[in-house]
Amino acid sequence: MSSETQKILTTDGIPLEESLKKAEKKNKIKAFLLVAPLLLFIIITYIFPIGEMFTRSIDDRMVTNMLPKTFKAMETWDGKELPPEEVFAAFLTDYRALAEKKEHGKLGQRLNKEKNGFNTILKKLWRKMKKFEEGNAKEQIMAIHKRFRDVKYWQAIKRTAPPYTMSKYLKGMDMYYNEDGKVVQVSEDRRIHRILWLRTLEVAFFVTVFCFLMGYPIAHLLATLPMKYSNLLMICVLLPFWTSLLVRTASWMILLQQQGIVNDFFVWIGLVADDSRPEMMYNKTGTYVAMTQILLPFMVLPLYSVMKTISPSLMRAGKSLGGTPFVAFWKVYFPLTIPGIGAGCLLVFILAIGYYITPALVGGASGTLISNQIAYHMKATLDWSFASAMGLMLLTGVLVVYWIYNKLVGIDNIKLG
Amino acid sequence: MRKLSKLLLTITFALSITSSAFAVVIASWGGAYTESQKLGYGDPTAKALGVPIEWVDYSGGLSEIKAQKEAGAIVWDIIDVFAFDTINGCDEGIFVEFDFDKDFEPAPDGTPASEDFFTSMPSKCAVGNILYSWNYAYNSDNVKGTPKTIKDFFNTKKFPGKRAIYKSALTNLEIALAASGTKPGKGGANIYKKLETEKGVQKAMDKIKKLCTDPKGGCVFWSAGAQPPELLMSGEVVMATGWNGRFFNATVGEGAPIVQVWDAQGLDYEYFALVKGGPNEADAKKALRMMTNTEMLAGSAKYIAYAPWRKSSIKVMEAGEPWYKDGKTNMVPHMPTAPANTKNYFLVDPFFWADNGTEIGEKWEAMKAGL
Repeated sequence: MSSETQKILTTDGIPLEESLKKAEKKNKIKAFLLVAPLLLFIIITYIFPIGEMFTRSIDDRMVTNMLPKTFKAMETWDGKELPPEEVFAAFLTDYRALAEKKEHGKLGQRLNKEKNGFNTILKKLWRKMKKFEEGNAKEQIMAIHKRFRDVKYWQAIKRTAPPYTMSKYLKGMDMYYNEDGKVVQVSEDRRIHRILWLRTLEVAFFVTVFCFLMGYPIAHLLATLPMKYSNLLMICVLLPFWTSLLVRTASWMILLQQQGIVNDFFVWIGLVADDSRPEMMYNKTGTYVAMTQILLPFMVLPLYSVMKTISPSLMRAGKSLGGTPFVAFWKVYFPLTIPGIGAGCLLVFILAIGYYITPALVGGASGTLISNQIAYHMKATLDWSFASAMGLMLLTGVLVVYWIYNKLVGIDNIKLG
Repeated sequence: MRKLSKLLLTITFALSITSSAFAVVIASWGGAYTESQKLGYGDPTAKALGVPIEWVDYSGGLSEIKAQKEAGAIVWDIIDVFAFDTINGCDEGIFVEFDFDKDFEPAPDGTPASEDFFTSMPSKCAVGNILYSWNYAYNSDNVKGTPKTIKDFFNTKKFPGKRAIYKSALTNLEIALAASGTKPGKGGANIYKKLETEKGVQKAMDKIKKLCTDPKGGCVFWSAGAQPPELLMSGEVVMATGWNGRFFNATVGEGAPIVQVWDAQGLDYEYFALVKGGPNEADAKKALRMMTNTEMLAGSAKYIAYAPWRKSSIKVMEAGEPWYKDGKTNMVPHMPTAPANTKNYFLVDPFFWADNGTEIGEKWEAMKAGL
């Protein structure tokens, strides 16, 4: 008997297996078409911009294309002392070509980011080079400004030679490539980014902890109180949530500043003397207070929706089996709320790590975070590649947190409701 | 990838283009300032030329216009920018370079535009609009005695209490040096000469650090122009640096007990720049020419205490006093350029900050982080 005859056929004579496959394929296409809009949306608004950010953060082809002769001449230069005449001559030729295309300004902008003070001397060169005599480029260029006699500026040019570079990522960690191509730290008085990264993590961590400590009892109350009270409480949680972020931040400023309402009250009840009012605003305290209040609903809501599903009889069962209320809570109730805790903490932490406007307003000197630095490079210095690099570093940080969470608790354990 | 992003951005901008297809669109800072521009010269120009002028708010910086340009869909024609930005924007090829005397009207007496403006422009793409001042002020209800000099701002023994200073290093380093005894010299040249050296920057930073860590002093950093008068009024600080127009509005407009001190004030400029390839470039150029003439520039000073850039505009104001919109306040004495206010001043140097801003900014932030 051949295997052919063994196959089960459908009524219209097609083997069942094939017919099923066909139907399944149809379903698959239907399902795909249903999710296609969302998929497309995510690709366009999320995956694609991140890809674009990444290319922008490492792409340094502009300079490479602008100074081809210079980089060729620099290949043999060891980068220790001032480069030889050929480099100067090649640079002058390249720069003249750029000036003709009116692109010399862009070069100045780019090199100024590599080494501050470059733009001015290049503009000076642009004004003076029309009167240059043939030959002897090194002497004539060096005569224009003392910075041209400083080897650091030539090393900066050499650093920009590769078409793709990781230097922006290094800069985000207060490091750079030195003239030997080694990664070294920037001088101590300029190490700002690492402080900001650590501070951002610290603030996000503590805000999450505070939110958890305050949100857990609230959520528990919400889930266990009779409907008429819990509804009122729910409104109290949601009302600030519906108020504009800026309004809430500004209210905290009015409440907590040194001449503010809270301090006035302290003085009135005699808790503190009028001339030694505590500082609660324009420092980290202000950032903690305002951010915790603003992010609290993101902790309360997932916790509440998980707690709502836990039957009250479970606690009663625990107690009737001989546990004290605390043991019953700790052994029975708490483990059941872990999915909610995970969701809430992850939500609050991720939101806090990228927080921008509140720390900028209430943070003062000790309260600015890395996101403020990213905005600064987006808007003020126009160093978009650096801003992209830092944005991606932040994203990576969030993904790492997610990964750790997955390892510790398991991501399928998360519940938003 | 680039192409796709261009397409996407073009689609997003498409709507806003259609809404402003025939108007000249000017991006400026909003609030009382844009109001003064609109009433002072925007509306009269629009009426005279028969071209509608639309004002949109932005918060400074070139990021938006750069994004519009990269997307190939520019929607702004003219931008109100800092000197620093006209230099960068000119270098990046975002703005149109002017032929100054040809593109702008001479003064009524025939003086060419380039001579009628107080100083030369920082770049070929800039035309001056207003002069404003970074000075300091105090609340006379909360301060015993009368602070008169920049040294008093740093003198916590005589005037104890917190100070509000600008969040970034800009102008803070300058006043710190002026307070430690550096005479600004012509237009502040001495100050910037010192700031070119690391020692000078360090000295200025130390001075600020000392003020901020002093138990009798302390610092609050402000970022928005409305904050300094606000902080003074609430008693949060006893003295604050700020923009003179905001202090003027609080004092004359709202009757607050705020007194301005002009010693070692930093004169700074605001400019218009014309966007290259803007949607309505030809009309925008005509509008810009009209808005920056003598009469029009003087018009904006009716509404705010910022000085028009043209010498001839000041003359128009003097002849027309009381110039302020309330009909009884003389405006010229409140101008940062008034002789009584310019006994000791420096000009904020855009070239210095364009060059050294990033590096000093890093040091400044590191200093702040250690407070």
